[in-house]
Amino acid sequence: MKRKIQVVICRVCSQGVPVLDVDKLAKTAAEAPYVGSVVTVDYACQSKTISSIVEDAKTKEADRVLVVPCSKKDVSPSLFQAYVRRGKINEFLIETVDLTNEVILPHREDPTRAQEKAEARLAAAIARLAALEPLEKHEEPMRTKNLVVIGAGVAGLEAAQVAAGHGLHTILIEKTDRTLKAPGVLLSKSRLLRAKGHGGNFELVIEAGEKEETLECAVIVVASGGDWSQGKGSLTRSCKEAMPLFRLKDSIDSGTLPSGPVVIVDTPDPKGSTMKAQDFAWDDALDLAMIAKRASPETDVTLIFQEMRASGLSELTYKEAAQLGIRFIRYDNKSPPTIDEKDSKRLIVKDLAQDEVVSLRFSTLSYASIPANPDNIGIADALRIPISLDGGIRRGSMQRGPVTTPRPGVFVCGSAMFPKPEAVARAEGKAAGILATQFVASGTVEYGGAVAEVTPEKCSACLTCVRTCPYEAPFIGAAGKAEVRTQLCQGCGMCAGICPSKAIDIHNYTDEQLSIETEAYLRGGF
Amino acid sequence: MIVAKRKPLDEIAEMIAPYEKVAIIGCRSCVAICLAGGEKEVKMLVSAMKLKNRKDGREQSLDGFVLERQCEKEWVKEVEEKILDSDIVLSMSCSLGTQTIGDMYPHRIVVPGLNTAIFGVPEEQGLWSEKCLGCGDCIIDTTGGICPIARCAKSMLNGPCGGSSDGHCEVNLDIECAWYAIHERLKLQNRLELMEYVRPPKNWSTSHSGGRRIIVREDAKLTPHQKRGQEVLE
Ligand code: SF4
Ligand code: SF4
Ligand code: SF4
Ligand code: SF4
Repeated sequence: MKRKIQVVICRVCSQGVPVLDVDKLAKTAAEAPYVGSVVTVDYACQSKTISSIVEDAKTKEADRVLVVPCSKKDVSPSLFQAYVRRGKINEFLIETVDLTNEVILPHREDPTRAQEKAEARLAAAIARLAALEPLEKHEEPMRTKNLVVIGAGVAGLEAAQVAAGHGLHTILIEKTDRTLKAPGVLLSKSRLLRAKGHGGNFELVIEAGEKEETLECAVIVVASGGDWSQGKGSLTRSCKEAMPLFRLKDSIDSGTLPSGPVVIVDTPDPKGSTMKAQDFAWDDALDLAMIAKRASPETDVTLIFQEMRASGLSELTYKEAAQLGIRFIRYDNKSPPTIDEKDSKRLIVKDLAQDEVVSLRFSTLSYASIPANPDNIGIADALRIPISLDGGIRRGSMQRGPVTTPRPGVFVCGSAMFPKPEAVARAEGKAAGILATQFVASGTVEYGGAVAEVTPEKCSACLTCVRTCPYEAPFIGAAGKAEVRTQLCQGCGMCAGICPSKAIDIHNYTDEQLSIETEAYLRGGF
Repeated sequence: MIVAKRKPLDEIAEMIAPYEKVAIIGCRSCVAICLAGGEKEVKMLVSAMKLKNRKDGREQSLDGFVLERQCEKEWVKEVEEKILDSDIVLSMSCSLGTQTIGDMYPHRIVVPGLNTAIFGVPEEQGLWSEKCLGCGDCIIDTTGGICPIARCAKSMLNGPCGGSSDGHCEVNLDIECAWYAIHERLKLQNRLELMEYVRPPKNWSTSHSGGRRIIVREDAKLTPHQKRGQEVLE
């Protein structure tokens, strides 16, 4: 096989912070073994540039491409895959290097060191790319067109609606016994217990009412929402009438809000060390505060919080709320708000901005925190998707995958990640519904590529990989040696790392390939 | 299986320090499975020793490889050249492998890289517990399938000592009292009467007390004629 590398260096990063001499870097890289040619471009991350990079590589008869963009977080090999697939380049022969985070930012003050390190980093990437093998992917038909949505809240219903509109058979799993108009099937009082399989062909075990049911589905949307049931905390203990935000909404909607000052606090337990800024549903809090204020402008409305994260359009809402005369008080954990011991209709809090302790009389006290849904742990465990430290389901990437999870065929939307205003949850639900539809559209699942493979002669059948793999991919086959179900393997590498007999390799991440890369780096350049 | 644990790096380094050419030999059987002396551990030890040698400014050639089963001569024979070419063999198998090589090549210095510890069961990933001492005359038919020889600190034969409390052993409160476990198991099986069964003093001559033990299976042994035939084939 020929090994000809096209190196593409993006200039944009170096323009912003003139640390690197990109032309010099390009010149040295051109001398490296296996490098066919080196080109510099602007904005490697734009689709226009991407397609021309691939075209250019093809005309120069390169069989592999190294892209050196400003930040690997955004420009990952997956960006190129769609383009590359259509061309002659194997999608596993595209690699990226992140010079911004690895070189430019840490060595801003020392351009000489930065240049040296960039060269070493590039040499390592080129050595690695030259050592890679083209890999194949395989296809398997999807057995169903089922979409399972976990949680029939705002986001979940929206996802189901959209997907059903596109012909998917939707099944909603809802833990309460709420009856609602839903597309497809609604399983109430039910929850996900276990999941087997992989994107395209999942097999779920659901607890529905008293019994367990098995469900096949192609794609899953997690819309478990936040934890609305909570409300235990120091404020609710000392003031029985304190209510969660949605109750406040109900009483405003039904016109039963008592007259008198309204106070909204970010959490029912400001003393608790567990309060996390992420839990504060500031968007809803701002909205409701404004509705209450507009309904009766003479009413005092106060918002008390540790951190206001009103970003994007909410920034305008924040401004508008201030103009309406809503009072904002910021506190910190050292002096959290408490109910006055002598008067349970008074809240005492130290205003950080004024540096003074204020005592607020209120008729209505509401708290605006929606902690992560504790069910997320079970859901994430069953589906093998990551959750954040706060207990929310983690999304792929804010910019490039706001409703995806690292697992193909599993999407997430709404407050399952962290509290969202209704409109955002709805929009995310729609997005997840569309992505789910798109995922099912081809009717086939792809698998393989950079996955694990066992060398049977080396395997001691020790079961370590079987016990370790989070996806239950390895098993001991008929020959008494470990085998990997490629469809299930996510290429995470845990089995290869722990196998005591070094019998497992992850394609394109073999010890040899990793050593080649490390050694090139340690040699420190070309 | 036999469960072993690697010796500390400093101890290993000291054993092999005077020698230039070191053959580090692992085993793919029990010690691989208990994550002590398989190919991965051998490679890691080679790397660790290389780093240590570089740090200490010592030159040493370290060659690491693994055998299917180090306690069997045929497998050892396969790497005879490498063994004879070395100044010292660091065996990363249980001591059976170490001694097999030592007995085959008495002029070679063979040292253990592992501490061979127990006959153990992997209770979970990374945790092994001892369940048998190899006494040579198994009695667990009357103890609910739980071995009081290995699992009781005092190898009590007829019920617990006076120190058993709340199911824990007085020797170490983190260990379950074997006799408590036996009682619970027998209760579960409706065989509590076995608690009153008196086990006569055990004949320890089948255990190590009778000296080095040898097990013979006459029907499996080769006849002198067969042995000659084998030699001819070789
Ligand atoms: S961990 Fe390695 S040796 Fe053990 S069963 Fe898996 S492949 Fe075989
Ligand atoms: S790489 Fe190994 S541990 Fe990871 S998913 Fe694949 S088989 Fe499982
Ligand atoms: S009684 Fe002897 S042979 Fe049986 S398990 Fe105990 S030590 Fe092993
Ligand atoms: S407490 Fe139980 S296990 Fe411990 S020595 Fe006594 S009988 Fe044996």
